[in-house]
Amino acid sequence: MRPRVRAVESLDLEIRRGEIHGLLGPNGSGKSTTIKMILGLVTPTRGRIAVLGRRPRDVATKRYIGYLPEESYLHGFLSARETLDFYGRLFRLPARIRGERIDRLLAMVGLDAVGDRPVREFSKGMQRRVGLAQSLINDPQLLILDEPTSGMDPVGAWQIRDLIRELGARGKTILLCTHQLSDVEDLCDRISIMFGGRIRSQGTCDELLAGESASLIRTPPLDPVVEGEVREVLARHGIQPVVMERPRRKLETLFLEVVEQARAEGLTTSGAKSGGAVPTFLRSDGGKGQPDDSSSPAVVNTALLDSLVRNPSDANGS
Amino acid sequence: MPTDRNRRRIPRRMWLQAAAVVVLASVGLVALFGSPVARAAALGGIAMAGGYGVGLTALRRLLAVPHGITSTARAVLDEAIRMRSTLVLLMLLVACVPILPLLLDPAERLTYRVQFLVMWNLGGASLILSLLTIFLACGSICGDITSGRIHMSLTKPLDRQEYLVGKWLGIVLYNLLLVALVGIGSYTLIRMLAAGPAADQADRDAVERQVLVARRAVSPTRDDPEAYAAAVNSAIEQREKDDSEGFAADHAGARRRIRREFDREWLTVTSDMVSTYVFRDLRTKGNTSADVQLQMNPRALNVDIDFSDVSFAMWFNDRPWPVRDGEAVAQIIPSQARHVFDLPASIVSESDDLRLRIANRNLVPAGETRATSITFPPGDGLQVLVRTGGFESNFLRCLMIMWFKLAVVAAVSVAAGAMFEFPSAVLAALVIYAASLGSDFFRDALGIYNVASETAWGQVAERMSYAAQYAAEGRGYDVFRMLLGFLTDAVLWILPSFSSDAAITRLATGIAIPWSAVATRFVLFGAVYPAAFGFLGWFVFDRRDLVKSGS
Repeated sequence: MRPRVRAVESLDLEIRRGEIHGLLGPNGSGKSTTIKMILGLVTPTRGRIAVLGRRPRDVATKRYIGYLPEESYLHGFLSARETLDFYGRLFRLPARIRGERIDRLLAMVGLDAVGDRPVREFSKGMQRRVGLAQSLINDPQLLILDEPTSGMDPVGAWQIRDLIRELGARGKTILLCTHQLSDVEDLCDRISIMFGGRIRSQGTCDELLAGESASLIRTPPLDPVVEGEVREVLARHGIQPVVMERPRRKLETLFLEVVEQARAEGLTTSGAKSGGAVPTFLRSDGGKGQPDDSSSPAVVNTALLDSLVRNPSDANGS
Repeated sequence: MPTDRNRRRIPRRMWLQAAAVVVLASVGLVALFGSPVARAAALGGIAMAGGYGVGLTALRRLLAVPHGITSTARAVLDEAIRMRSTLVLLMLLVACVPILPLLLDPAERLTYRVQFLVMWNLGGASLILSLLTIFLACGSICGDITSGRIHMSLTKPLDRQEYLVGKWLGIVLYNLLLVALVGIGSYTLIRMLAAGPAADQADRDAVERQVLVARRAVSPTRDDPEAYAAAVNSAIEQREKDDSEGFAADHAGARRRIRREFDREWLTVTSDMVSTYVFRDLRTKGNTSADVQLQMNPRALNVDIDFSDVSFAMWFNDRPWPVRDGEAVAQIIPSQARHVFDLPASIVSESDDLRLRIANRNLVPAGETRATSITFPPGDGLQVLVRTGGFESNFLRCLMIMWFKLAVVAAVSVAAGAMFEFPSAVLAALVIYAASLGSDFFRDALGIYNVASETAWGQVAERMSYAAQYAAEGRGYDVFRMLLGFLTDAVLWILPSFSSDAAITRLATGIAIPWSAVATRFVLFGAVYPAAFGFLGWFVFDRRDLVKSGS
């Protein structure tokens, strides 16, 4: 008989309302299993999980959750638009609201021009964009993103980081599971690092990263004379050794500049376009939203319509 | 810069479109200029293809309500029209239904050709649709699980129960569409074939009065039920006296066996006697134009003979029939074949009964010491058939029963898909389908495991008694065989029986399928069995971790 693996053990994880929480760990550390337990796909052998105050398997809880899995598990025969329509129906969104949200989300992820093509014809990155769009169709309060930038080109990855930052600013609770440590450092309020199925370290970035025994002074490029004088001053205070170097540009910055330049020259691509703005239906609740009856679909939709009326610029496809 | 190779490559979609145009054009040409039968086949094909598109659009609209169950069902429809295995079976269905008439031998009598078409068209369609249901249901659910799509669905407000119900509903509605298309295609073809040339007028009449018709079958009763009851009771008492111990072990079974012996004897006309059979409540009163037919399927019975012509004379309500010169004309017909005699409606009595007396006119054959007896098998061996309606209504009832059976197959397949991985799920569903289809055959085939008693408790007691006896004699294998009988009995008792209603056979032989049978099948196959299998599938599915742990 195949030995059973204990993927997660003695896990004590709290994700606070309105925070962006980074879940880190090497492969096999139990991150995805933890997420699947939170989503009710895997049942823990013991212990208790509460999501927005309810059991993970509770259908009512899932109305407020958006989930982007680590891989794009989509019906290949459906188009991007049909895919979003299918998931919108599962959230029981009325046709008009569904249609509006689909248009806005496709524009947001840059797939509005290819929305009627079957998903199986999409590249991995484009499928990730569809996956991201479906995770937002219900205007979730809790957004669980498992490797959201996996398979994305740098432009897409950069846009997703922006989106996460924007959603975080609007008060959404986000659980971000990724191997991109720089993303976590940039975006997350709090971090949990897992290994061997347990949380090994937990706290804010400042708490966890403070205490490095070095100082960094960032200036415009120095000429050799000034550089020598700085060294002298530091030596006078007994500070040695001093490392002074001219940092290189980041490859990501260069890449983005090349793409922007190409776009400026009017070159087109058959794939995803540059994404649009975050739709206004993704409401800002300042982390105070409660999964109560006031958030039932009918009420949400009224609020969405109100927001559309109040923001004519958004209604024009900003 | 595109290479020459890339420039020359034609997209697959264009190939498919071109192929569709060629097929449609060919079919259209056949429909316009082909022979009548080929034209019928082509038109049937076109009607089925067109109806498929229209029906699918209608079903998608029906499922437009945004709800977990309807959305899942809608996705099943989308999947069904794109899944390769279902497409292959669908093509087979579209090809088989219209092409079958082309395979019929035009030299054959029209009656047999029409019956053959009804039997094989609907029987074949039922088999193909069942396979399609199994592959679609198992493929859809197992595909969702293995591909991970289930992650996306079940993290939405969709209960696992709703997910399974949605899958079942989608398949059942898809089957409704396909059954309707098969019905339209088959009906058109049957009518076109029936309108074709017949061998003679009798052949034409037989098609209209024995196949494309719905007749109520009335079985014979005894002339004197009280005397029969008294005779049976006397025999039972005698048996009880002769073998009080054996009788006490299973007296209900013993009574049944004695009754069966009496029935066999009653349905046998020996050379020295005249047998009387009364057909009551024929419901022809006031309807002088009612079609009344006597159907018989006689067997010859002698020491060394079980197949020969049989000769007999008949009287209906004490009047000879048929009559020549005031005398009853002896009938000579082959045994082991179904014969139908059209009777005048006026032959039925005022009290709506028909009293049939049959006298055996067989002679003593060479090599035998007595005249051959005539016996009628219980069931359809001797019946009076009264027309109750047209073929159309009967055809509709047959299609409804076919659809209800597919609902059970869908539930079995959904449950299997919810419990196992694809190959095991398909295998399990196929085994259950085959067992349901051949449940009557399996009951006979597994006779070695059966016991004589006819009540459930009697069987248990008998089986245990045998097992104990074999154990005492050290016959381990026989003990195992006896105990295995419990399992086979339980399985055959639990499984639905698809063969018991014989709906397609009834339709092909012009016997009415009663609405009560349709209602019973609706409750059993449309609700009870799907609920039972659905519950079983949900019970496992709800406790199943649908994803393997990743990182």
